[in-house]
Amino acid sequence: MSNKPSPEASARLEERLRDPSQARKAFGDVIAAYSEPLYWQIRRMVNNHDDANDLLQNTFMKAWLSLDNFRGDARLSTWLYKIAINESLSFLEKEKRRAGVSIDSPDARAASASLSADTHIDGDTLALQLRQAVSQLPEKQQLVFNMRYYDDMKYEDMSAILGTSVGALKASYHLAVKKIEKFFAGED
Amino acid sequence: MESNNSNSILDRVGRRSGMTVPDGYFQDFADRMAASLPVQEWERDAASSPARRSVWQIVRPYVYMAAMFMGVWCMMHIFNHVSSSPEMTIEGNTVLAQAVGSDTFIDDYILDDADSADLLDDVWNESI
Repeated sequence: MSNKPSPEASARLEERLRDPSQARKAFGDVIAAYSEPLYWQIRRMVNNHDDANDLLQNTFMKAWLSLDNFRGDARLSTWLYKIAINESLSFLEKEKRRAGVSIDSPDARAASASLSADTHIDGDTLALQLRQAVSQLPEKQQLVFNMRYYDDMKYEDMSAILGTSVGALKASYHLAVKKIEKFFAGED
Repeated sequence: MESNNSNSILDRVGRRSGMTVPDGYFQDFADRMAASLPVQEWERDAASSPARRSVWQIVRPYVYMAAMFMGVWCMMHIFNHVSSSPEMTIEGNTVLAQAVGSDTFIDDYILDDADSADLLDDVWNESI
């Protein structure tokens, strides 16, 4: 279930965020509205509930502490997604550096370990296989696939968040699907 | 063209990720997160600054200034009206015209070159 606010409600929320006397209450509403979509975005990147929980907290804390930098040039959701994705990428980079693996070179063992460490799963074998296939992709491709496939996000919105052209995103999604296909062909 | 194999897999999985969260996680998270937000400098500033002024309090000085200008304009209008009135001109006021035409009036009220000796002579002549 996603309870993301409508564009009108989001605009009202942004207005309240800019008023120092209302900002705290408004930010509580932001947390209530965006914690679920941001959580799933982060969780699909890090494949672990505990890490996703920590990163979600960091995301909102960073957003709150830099609230006076939010001028409304970008949409509220774009701004929050950017923070969440940057937090997640930094986390993954640290994890991979610790394991001695490049961020752009997916490591099957690391991904499998991360998935098997995740205890909050529903036992759906096919869904788990797809997660394993997605975890083999480079981080940026995983991001594009997750946003497009699971969140059904428009390429234009993804472009605003990731700072990549719509054409490049489409190509990236196409490549990701090809690699997933290859993964499943190898499984058969 | 995307592969049928891949599409069939994606179609079979649907949007399910197979991931779950503990019961009530999002509500608990929102409550905990909102409670843990530190107080910011600009919040303190907003709290210590005077209460927000009402619209009347904001416009009141401008209304007062406009009323003052209106008062000045009214006064000037009245003075102008009085000074241009026919009763205030010699031609339009017969009493004034007679007075100005009278030598006695001129001698008594306008000319001031009489000295005390002349005044005493006048008093003597008038047998006062």
